[in-house]
Amino acid sequence: MISLWWLGLALLAFPVWWHRQRRERVSAKPLATARFLPRTDPQQQRVWRWVDRALLLVRCLLLAAVVAWLADLVIPWRGSTVLVVPGTDNAWARQQGGEQLMLPTADAFGWLALHEREFQDGARLTIIGDVAMPAVKPRFSHVVEVRSRIAPRPQPGQRIVVVSKRAAQWQALFAATGYRHDAEQSGKAALVVWDVPEAPPAGLQAPLWWVGDATAFPELAAGRHANSARGRLWTMKPAATVEEARTQFETWQQLHYPPVPYTTAPITLAAASGVSPRDASGALRYLLTIALIALFALERTLTHARRR
Amino acid sequence: MLVSSALLAHTSDLDLIIRHVLAGLGHGIHAGRERGAGVEFSEYRAYAPGDEWRRVDWKLMARADRYYVREAERDSHVAVWLWLDATASMAEASRSVDGLNKLWYARTMLACIAAIAQRQGDAFGLVVCSGDRVQFTPASRGPRQMHRIMAQLSKAEPMGALPGADTLRASLHFARSPSLIFAASDFLDWPSPQSDALLRLRRMQHDVRALCLQTRAEVDASFPLDTVWRDPEQGEGVFRFGADTLGTYRQGRDEHFARVLAQCRQNNIPAMAACIEDAPAGVLRSWLRLAGRA
Repeated sequence: MISLWWLGLALLAFPVWWHRQRRERVSAKPLATARFLPRTDPQQQRVWRWVDRALLLVRCLLLAAVVAWLADLVIPWRGSTVLVVPGTDNAWARQQGGEQLMLPTADAFGWLALHEREFQDGARLTIIGDVAMPAVKPRFSHVVEVRSRIAPRPQPGQRIVVVSKRAAQWQALFAATGYRHDAEQSGKAALVVWDVPEAPPAGLQAPLWWVGDATAFPELAAGRHANSARGRLWTMKPAATVEEARTQFETWQQLHYPPVPYTTAPITLAAASGVSPRDASGALRYLLTIALIALFALERTLTHARRR
Repeated sequence: MLVSSALLAHTSDLDLIIRHVLAGLGHGIHAGRERGAGVEFSEYRAYAPGDEWRRVDWKLMARADRYYVREAERDSHVAVWLWLDATASMAEASRSVDGLNKLWYARTMLACIAAIAQRQGDAFGLVVCSGDRVQFTPASRGPRQMHRIMAQLSKAEPMGALPGADTLRASLHFARSPSLIFAASDFLDWPSPQSDALLRLRRMQHDVRALCLQTRAEVDASFPLDTVWRDPEQGEGVFRFGADTLGTYRQGRDEHFARVLAQCRQNNIPAMAACIEDAPAGVLRSWLRLAGRA
């Protein structure tokens, strides 16, 4: 929908009117024998011509810039583009070719709905990467092809602290999965294995604690799991067999990832008609603001110079 | 063939214009060159009975074995004064010929007369009334004076009004000996300090000749209608020229110039009105003939 602010362009008539009308005394030409003619009163006439064209131009531009700023002008300047969802494998993205645009957010469909006006008519849009599937099938006025690819899961925190009298058994578990672990009781870690009766130091922080000896954790008196100020507490024992160790590890892995959105299947969305663009994207507001300031300064300068 | 103003107006070279205007004119201002005893050598003439023996050139006689008499130019006692009105109104340009205005025409006329005076051996001087001032170039003879006069004429710019009566009256001492005064002006101000000065000079027994310059448009009243005009010399105030004021204009102008010419006639000043679009040679000849002494 065209913004009603554009009606403000009618204001441009004012500077044009001011700059064109000028009352002026009728210029008299010299005539030696004028003395034989009857005298007359000096006449004023409205001269209809352009004066101070540069100033008029600047003032019109200034008004137009204000209106464009209010109407949130969007100029479709982008052509066919490949939109890359952040977190996409760079090498794979490069293989897709085309003019690539890295999206600032993982919500590709949401971003596109806001910025669709920036794309020229007939531009072919391709979204590549791990595109989250929206609840409703999105509708765009452009053809949008989705080439999705599930991104590798993010690695959890790498550091695991093991403080235990049975350190060798724990280390065997983590060695099998390739995790780095140490026994230093400070800093941040992804997982702390605490299997000694002493209370852990305040400097050691982790979202998950595997507690082998619950003496220092009164929260675990009620059950096997508890939430404490330190983080989530589990009562755990070192695995006796390799199978048990794998089960423990996978349980931890599955429970301690953020929820991963479902990836949209590769699909080509046909251009839908009657799609109304969402509210202002503000894509050009920054540029328009700078233009406004520059034009205002120029207008003041020219006005001042004219008075001199 | 008379060269038209339109053709001459293309050049600002006064010398060239004079040569064109004077080509074939052949007449002087007053009775021609008188030969006789004098200082400046003119030519040899065969001896005729009755010539003074002291004027015979004996060296030439020894070479040619004949008697020759040295003829010298007789210096004229008549001084020619050129009176140029260079006030703002003289800037009035011709509405049909580009680059032609009254001042250009007046300048051309006076330069031609200066050239004739120089040929005749007369002394000539210049009076320029411009910008409320009178500028004199004292009368003298010879080619150098000619250059001086030409430079002054070329320098004259149309500006200001006529000088005041006191200024002019104090300046009239220039013409002591009997002189010829050629005044070129538009004579739109009459009576004026200028007219008073010319009449006074006439009463001092100088031979005053007036050339009243006009444009063809002024004579025919063929200005663009419904245009606002201003007087170049009278400052404020605008004037309107329309179909209804045509009669007023004609009547006012005719009465004015009739008065000017009548007063000139009364005071025995030969005066002539000329349009600047007319060929300068013809106007010059008429002006010189006006006194009946061409």
